[in-house]
Amino acid sequence: MTAPAVVFDEVSKFYGDVLGVNRVTLNIPPGITSLVGPNGSGKTTLMNLMTGLIHPDNGSILTRGIPPGNPEALMRITGYATQYDTAPRWATGFTFITTGLLLFGYGRAEAEARAWKALERLSLTEAANRKVAAYSKGMRQRVRLAQAIAHDPQVLVLDEPLNGLDPLVRAETIALFRTWANEGKHVIISSHVLQEVDLISDQVVLIANGMIIAEGTIRTVREEIHEHPSQYLIRCSNASSLASRLFSEDHVTEIKLHEDRLGLLVMSRDREQLARALGRLAVDGHRIDTVVPADENVDALYEYLIGGE
Amino acid sequence: MALRQAQGGGALSGRAGQAWTIAKIELRRAFFAKRGLWVYALALLPAGAFFVHGVDATLRIERLSRNGLTDAALMSGVQKGETVDAVKARLGTPAREWGGTDVRRVRKKSDNKGATTHVIEPAVDARFVRLNINRPTYSGNGVATIYEFEVYGADGRQNLALGRPATGSPPCDPDRGPEKAVNGSVAAGTPDSWCAEDWPLFLQVDLGAAQSVTRFVVKHASAGGESEESDTRDFNIQLSTNGKTFTTVATSTGAGFTDERIEYRTLVYFDGRREARLTFVDGKLNSQGSDHPLRLDEDRAIFAGIFQYFYLRLAIFFGCLGMFMFLFSGEMSNRTLHYWFLAPARREVLLAGKYAAGLVASSVIFSGGALLGFAAMIWPHDAVEVQAYWNTGGMSHAFWYASAAALGCLGYGSVFLAIGVYLKKPIIPAAIILAWEGINGILPHALQKLSVLYYLQSICPVPAPLPDDAPTLIRLLAAPAAPASRPLAILGLLILTAVVLWFAGRAVRRMEISYGAEG
Repeated sequence: MTAPAVVFDEVSKFYGDVLGVNRVTLNIPPGITSLVGPNGSGKTTLMNLMTGLIHPDNGSILTRGIPPGNPEALMRITGYATQYDTAPRWATGFTFITTGLLLFGYGRAEAEARAWKALERLSLTEAANRKVAAYSKGMRQRVRLAQAIAHDPQVLVLDEPLNGLDPLVRAETIALFRTWANEGKHVIISSHVLQEVDLISDQVVLIANGMIIAEGTIRTVREEIHEHPSQYLIRCSNASSLASRLFSEDHVTEIKLHEDRLGLLVMSRDREQLARALGRLAVDGHRIDTVVPADENVDALYEYLIGGE
Repeated sequence: MALRQAQGGGALSGRAGQAWTIAKIELRRAFFAKRGLWVYALALLPAGAFFVHGVDATLRIERLSRNGLTDAALMSGVQKGETVDAVKARLGTPAREWGGTDVRRVRKKSDNKGATTHVIEPAVDARFVRLNINRPTYSGNGVATIYEFEVYGADGRQNLALGRPATGSPPCDPDRGPEKAVNGSVAAGTPDSWCAEDWPLFLQVDLGAAQSVTRFVVKHASAGGESEESDTRDFNIQLSTNGKTFTTVATSTGAGFTDERIEYRTLVYFDGRREARLTFVDGKLNSQGSDHPLRLDEDRAIFAGIFQYFYLRLAIFFGCLGMFMFLFSGEMSNRTLHYWFLAPARREVLLAGKYAAGLVASSVIFSGGALLGFAAMIWPHDAVEVQAYWNTGGMSHAFWYASAAALGCLGYGSVFLAIGVYLKKPIIPAAIILAWEGINGILPHALQKLSVLYYLQSICPVPAPLPDDAPTLIRLLAAPAAPASRPLAILGLLILTAVVLWFAGRAVRRMEISYGAEG
């Protein structure tokens, strides 16, 4: 018996020469999992890979034991609401979902009943018989959600599902996610705003430039980010003296002296404390010319995600 | 549970059912795509053409029958040379009648063998005789030709110009100088004449001393054996005693033409099927012809030609191009393809469903169009004749026309579906396919088998008409070698289609959703 997990094993995907995702290894248990990263970081790529819309160049993916190459089995347990804001021209909310359900082999009556139920859950019954093309952005977002859940899948893959929803609907939708997660389903959502999802997620996966930066519960991710040492390049008059003083600080993990003895590379786990230490040293008479963050990736990413936008 | 079902024993029928579900969803779009309405125009064109032809023929028959029908035996009994009145007395009022008079200017035939004689009374004394030519020929050619210019005095026997010094416009040929017109001979053909084309055109003879002259004979081109059309049309003769002041003594202009009047009359009699046209010239029956407003055998041949050269090669070809090529790429550009790819169906099943939808729609449209065309072709004809045709092969013709159209959709549909899934810009390959199908007849036999048209040829029930004098290349292009029997042709086409679809299936399985910018 395979564990009911979604497993990425060393998965890479290139778009021509451009990297999509690079050697992603993930093991996603049931519950709400948020893929968080800036636009273009590879969230949609991971979701498309998982559902077989695109094919990995390397590595393998199993969704509850089923590879993406077997859509007959995979799509029965998976519902994917994409970010592609389109619907067939002919479709009303109701016919759109009913038509999709017919492909699952449901009879027309059952398909219509399920479609109606899905529309009800997303509060779309009033608009059910209008053309999807005439919906507002938020309604189109919800109709895609309804379409993804109509066949009652075990694994829900939702690309930016909270985008464009007004606060009331957003709260209702988040409540739905919670319900599904409590039923033992996978609810995998993506967002480029960490604050939007950190409180509702059982786990968070941070992605940047096609690579996994951190994963785990939101608390572990926060710690991981805080503990991840950052590098700073410091130019000063007496590098070796400064190095010996800095090395006594707890948060400093590593120091490299520059060849010209006028600079040093400091690895610190805490920017604030480093700044305070450098301030004290300056008061003590050390001449410090410049402090430049040499690698701000994770920190900056985190700031960016917290900051919204 | 559903998963178990799909993988269990009922998997095959489950997939077929799924493909049919997909086909049903797609059918509406296949039939009523806004971009695809021109397909109907292509399919209905032959029916429209034959309908117009039928209406036209029916109206013509109605018009011809207005004065009553004529007995067929009487119609074929008329004899050449009979008068209009005699024919009318026997056959009655014609269905149509018209006539008129033609006036033609024709050249009066003369027996002068190309020589004209000009007499002046009384005789005049002159030393220089000059022939001025204003229009050198009847044909319009600008070269003047004179074989002999003779001048006679009072005794009328001696040619005073013979051998005298002659001058004139520069000769068109150094060997045909003015002396040739006074050498007393016309027998040696062209070199025995004077010719000139530089204006002014003239010939002048010096008689040596002033003499009394009274008659001139000019021997023109036809005197030397050339066409009468080259004879001099308009000229005059002038005389002078001093070579400076000339007096015109004879003129010949536009002579030799006359008006010819021909009275003609045409009577048309109609026996219900055949139309006899009797043409009378000057009141006598001169020629008779016949015409049929409607002929079933002719219309059948025309239908066969339209079906093979237009319907199969162009209408179905481009119709299938429009209906099949964009089954996948159209949804890619509309950004709706992922809905299909996210359905619990194998990609091959999706391909089969979409192909089935296209096939059903295109077959209905084009087989229907072929049958409508066939019906429109038959419709205006005599019921008895149609019944006879229907019982002696007509029914099977209709069946095979419809089948050839449907099989054409099957073959071309698979080809364009495959092109559409393999290539992003499929227009150039489509043009190559059109050329490939077009030159099919001159390819080596092994390559011919790789074209759809090769198989469709022998499924068509009536060979397409081709003029007997058509060049070999056209003959090959129009009617390439085809498999011997229909079953073989159908089998071959099915195998070709299956192979093409298998390749298309491979491409669809590898297809990735790529709508451009992604988050």
